[in-house]
Order: sequence, then structure tokens, then C-alpha cells
Amino acid sequence: MITLLKNGRILDPAQNLDVIGSVLIEDDQIVEYGEDLEVEEVDETYDCTDYWICPGLVDPHVHLREPGDEHKETIATGTQAAAAGGYTTICCMPNTRPPLDNPALIDFILDRAASPESGGVFVAPVGALTLGLGGERLSDLAALKKAGIVAVSDEGSPMQNAQMMTQAMEFCVQLDLPIMAHCEDTTLTEGGSMNEGATSAMLGLKGIARTAEEIAVMRNCLLSLNTGCRVHIMRVSTWGAVEIIRLMKSLGAPVTCEICPLHFTFTDEAIGEFDSYYKVQPPLRTQVDIDLLLQALNDGTIDCIASDHSPHASHEVEVPFEEAPFGSVMLETMVAITLSRLTHTGILSPLQTVDKLSTTPARILRLDAGTLRPGETPVAQIVVIDPNLRWTFDRGKTFSKSKNTPLHGMELKGKPLLTFCGSEIYRDAMFPATRYTGPEHP
Amino acid sequence: MARNLLGIRQLSTDEIGELIKTAAEYKARIEANKPVPEIKNKVIGMLFFENSTRTRMSFEQAAHYLKLKTANFVASGSSMSKGETLKDTVLTLRYERLSGLVMRHRQSGAPTLAARFFGGPVLNAGDGRHEHPTQALGDGLTIIERKGQIEGLKVAIVGDVEHSRVARSDAWLLSKCGAEVRLVGPRTLIPQNTSLLPGTVFHELSAGLADVDVIICLRLQRERMEEGSLSSLNEYAKLYQVNRETLRYAKPDVLIMHPGPINRGIEVDDTAADGESSAITAQVENGIFVRMAALHWVFAGEHQA
Repeated sequence: MITLLKNGRILDPAQNLDVIGSVLIEDDQIVEYGEDLEVEEVDETYDCTDYWICPGLVDPHVHLREPGDEHKETIATGTQAAAAGGYTTICCMPNTRPPLDNPALIDFILDRAASPESGGVFVAPVGALTLGLGGERLSDLAALKKAGIVAVSDEGSPMQNAQMMTQAMEFCVQLDLPIMAHCEDTTLTEGGSMNEGATSAMLGLKGIARTAEEIAVMRNCLLSLNTGCRVHIMRVSTWGAVEIIRLMKSLGAPVTCEICPLHFTFTDEAIGEFDSYYKVQPPLRTQVDIDLLLQALNDGTIDCIASDHSPHASHEVEVPFEEAPFGSVMLETMVAITLSRLTHTGILSPLQTVDKLSTTPARILRLDAGTLRPGETPVAQIVVIDPNLRWTFDRGKTFSKSKNTPLHGMELKGKPLLTFCGSEIYRDAMFPATRYTGPEHP
Repeated sequence: MARNLLGIRQLSTDEIGELIKTAAEYKARIEANKPVPEIKNKVIGMLFFENSTRTRMSFEQAAHYLKLKTANFVASGSSMSKGETLKDTVLTLRYERLSGLVMRHRQSGAPTLAARFFGGPVLNAGDGRHEHPTQALGDGLTIIERKGQIEGLKVAIVGDVEHSRVARSDAWLLSKCGAEVRLVGPRTLIPQNTSLLPGTVFHELSAGLADVDVIICLRLQRERMEEGSLSSLNEYAKLYQVNRETLRYAKPDVLIMHPGPINRGIEVDDTAADGESSAITAQVENGIFVRMAALHWVFAGEHQA
């Protein structure tokens, strides 16, 4: 089977490549790409004129909810949502029930991800740093690594004890595993449900202080500097956290960080009259934060963009604000919100955009992904994006099992139309039929 | 769309004026043994998810004068203690054909959520730290009775502003009606950022009370010491108690108010609570008339729609 993606804008940040050209796929591998591709016989052709052809996107931070919370999401529905979002590799978080703290559960995740009903994307599990995410005893990290984890994390229940965190980092240096750190000093956040500030004071909701995030970022960066452990700071939300990361990087700490789109899209005022669809962790902050987060995205202090895809059933979200869970489903809007807020506004170039959604997250977690270069990924991983397509997001038409998102009804610009992971795993209804010639897909 | 009373923040000055004026008329009629307009063929649900004797009784009395039937919802032992969500409870009550809901809840915003699903009028009888609109309306009526008007008055709200729904509702009402509002208390009990709340912050009682016409004392809860917001009740009383001594900072004819229940000897002393300047009992009584006005107002809004 020979497939040609014809006449698109090829963006491969791994090689700093930005040219108009075509990509040739033979069976499940990219074999060639470039401006003047000479092709004799092809079985199928996708006309990609005015589209971007990019390495499949890589999401370092996804909650698949299985096992334990299959009413929110399953590995099947979550990976289908990922494919529709343009992703070919996603990292799943360990805070399932039970948490991913032993090799058997890692095997389970990988088996499910590879099964035919799943979305066809690679799933790279993140192991639980401590048993049961209890913060008391380390999991058997070597066994987890052997089973296939790419990082460890205690996700939403971060280790408060600095001595234990130091030991955990020493172990991770030895095993060459990065720690993905949710940064929160929980002594400052108990009972909090939104950013501490003018809006929380007005609504009478207990606030989450920005210092809770910044103290934990500082501590984790210092421990990283001291131990040499690679630390990936998850979802930064305050300008202070960014400044600390900037400083610690300049001192040589092996730290990286991610941002989730809601944090550069909305301020805490968006909560309006207690709208719990805007309740995220860390909380939505202020315009000053957004302005400086955008600057940090532009100058590279913020390394990558993660979805923090957090499905919750509507009956769990439609409760009084303080009782509602944190998080939002994001996978199927990541390209659209990122392009709408960052690329079309000039914060990021197209190449930088793809870098932060694909190449850099792959590099941080050392995944075989994030490039179009033949042989560097196990199979061809490609997303074709129409950067200028205007559409209105309807959460009723998503693959994700949960519909908790504040983006419902939002007009967006940019959409992934085709995803390949070995073969075509997703074709959007808005991809014009006239652009395809070849055998009908099942 | 049903008309709700979820907070003072969303009301216009005209709406506040209308509600207080109607309450004053009802009060005059009842004191003269004249009939008041009734609300017939309706049943209002009383949903008190948090303990309340005063507000609940006041709403019951208001309904009694209006010949409005009430149906009590007992949260403990109800379907909610069996795990039913607030949304499902409210939907059930909607199809039980209740005409409206009076709701008290310990979580800020819970009545807002209920109003989204109920479809008829919802009156907030106090939600978390957010608002207690009928308390503020009663306080407004009391101030107008004793001072003639609200506009131009200096009002100090003293104590645990951070955790007080009464403070928020009173501050909105008084500032919308043209008073100068002061939020007075220790740094630990006043929100750090008050830029979206009305009022000017004072941490010194003497400065906060200087030249004020009205003092609204807030109840101090003992839990605040466990959180480290206060060292001791004794120290709090020394710094912030409204008493014979500290009243000298205010105007000679200052009015003293308190939403109750009072911690005597902590936020107020007997002189302040029981003296001629005190309007505390008037606040309780006026609470009934403003709740009558509020019930009429939400149902009238429904007919207009």
C-alpha cells in the first residue's frame, strides 16, 4: 500500500523543516518527503493543499480513567478522542482506581491500548511514584520501568515530605526516569476551589493561593538541581511559577514544564456565577498571569502544551462549585484552542506550535515520536491540520465519554482532519471527500 | 425565566428600593391590623440544608401572613442522605409541583445551581460565605426606619468579613443605596483582595468606627482560632469589640446592629447590644416583612414573564 499526502505545508520541528511538499507512506512507514517528490504509482492520495502535514501530536498528560472510573472514560474512548484530536502518542496518568503502582496494571493498560476497539494511538503509561499514590512508600520503580512506564508521578496528591521527595529523585536518577510533578503545597490549599483573589472573595469561595503552586515549584526545582533528577512540572498557571522555572533552568536544573490551554484562555472571572465547568487544577488565574504565560510560551520557558484531559460525568460536575471535581475534557479541542489562541495571534509560529504539541513533549519523555524523519518512529505518525478551518465546538459530537468542558459552543479556527498512526486512524467529517482518491476505507 | 432572589449583588438600586418600600407597607398594614395581599394556590418548599432557626422561622412567619403554604424538606433522613445529588433533589421538587424554593446551604452558589434546574423562583436564605440577601434587606429597612435613609451614611461592618455572607450582602445593599461602606477587621479575617467587593478596608477599629452612623457587628466563630486566624477570643475582644469604650469613636447617635446569634462579651458587650443605640431586635422583626416582600416579588416576576 502506497499512500501520498500531497502538496501540504510540511512542518517538522525536529529538523526545523517548513516547506511545501508531499509525504510518501509505504505500508506503515514514512519513506520519503520533500518539495519535489517523484512518485510513480500510488494506491491512494490525500490532497493536502493549504493544510499542514505534521508529526503526530504527543500529549504528556492525559487521564484515561480506566481502570476504576469507566463511567468517565475508558482506554478505548480516550484513545479514540486522542486520534480525533490529532494525537498519535499519549501519556496516561496513574491516578486510576487502583492507581498504576504495579507492573500488572501497566500490562493491562498496554494490552487495552493495543486492542482493536481502541483508537490506534500509542499509550505511554506514567507510573505511580508511591504505592496507592499515598505519598508514603515508593512503588517498585524498576519493575514499573521494565513494564513500560515512561515517567512517574503522584499526580493530584503530590508528595509533601521533602526528604521523601529527595529519595524519590535519587531513585529516579538511577533509573533514568523523569518525575512529572503536580506542584501544590497542600497545607495552603485545603478546601480551596478557585484562584484566591478578587473573584473568590466576591463569590465567597475559599481560594487556592498562587503561593501554594510557587512554593512547590521552587522546592521541586531545587531538589532537581541538587539531585540531577529530571523533573517535568505539570500545568503551570502563575507568572511566579514561570519566573522560578526560568531561574532554575538558567542555574542548570534539568526541569521542563507544560501548560494546559485553559490557563492561557480564561481568567478566574470566567467562573461567573459558580460555573463548575471552569473548575480546574491549578485554578484559572488572572490576566497578568495569562500575559506572562504567553510571553513564556513565546520565549520557550514553557516547553510544551499538554491537555490534562480530565473526564468527569456530568452528574459529578453539576453540583455545588466546591463539591465539583477539577478538570475538563480537552483532547478533541487541543489543536483548535492552541491555534486560535497562540498561532493565529502570533504568539507561536506554526513550527513552534507543532514543536510544543509534538516534538518537545516526545523529547522530554524520550518517546519515539514527534518527527517525520523515517525510521525514528516505530510507524508513520502524522497529523494533517487545516489551520484556517472555522468551526464551532459541540461537546455532543465527541468521542470522549465525558462532556465536561467550558469550550462548548466556542468558535474556533483550526482542526485536525486526518491522523495516521501506521495507517489512517482518523478522518474528520470536515475533510472534503473530493480531496481523496483511492480505495474506500472500511 | 423565573425571577430569583439569589443575592443583592445582582439587584439594581431600584429593585432594592422597591423591595424595602413594599416591606415597610406590609409592616404598617400588619401593625394596623389591616389585610396584606395574599399569595394563594402556591406552595413554597423550605430547603434548609444547614441548621437555621431564625431565618427559617422568619420565612415561616412571612408565609403565614401571606397565606402562602410551606412544605418542609428535611435534609437529614431524606433522599439526599442516601446520596441523591442536589440537582436531582431540585428536579424532584419541581415535579412535586412546588411553586418556589427557599434554600439555605453551606456551600456558596448552591442556590444558583438549584435555580438553574428548578424552573421556578428560588430565594437564597444564606449560602456559604456568599450571600444572605433577605438579611440585608431587613437590615436596610431597619436603617431606613431609624436613620430616614441609607444614602450618605457611613456604615462599618466589623469582624469576620472573610467568612460572612451577611457582610457581603449588607455591603452590596448599602453601597448600592449610596452609603459609605467600611469593612473593619483583622488582616486574617478580611479577604486579601477586595477589589470586586464594595467598601474600604480598615484594620484598626478606631479608624474604622470614626464618625460612623451605623455599626454592623458580625458573629465570630470559634473555629477561626483553630485555623490560626486569631490567637484568642480575649485578644480579639480587646482589639475589635464594639463596647462602651469603642463606641466613642462613632457618631453619638450611632446605630448598632448584629445579625445574630450574638456572642456577648466577644464582638459586642451588653452596653452595645442592649442600649438605646441597638437595633438588634428590630432587625429580627423586620426580617419577616422583607421576606414577605421578597416572596411577593419573586412570584410577581413570574407572572410578568
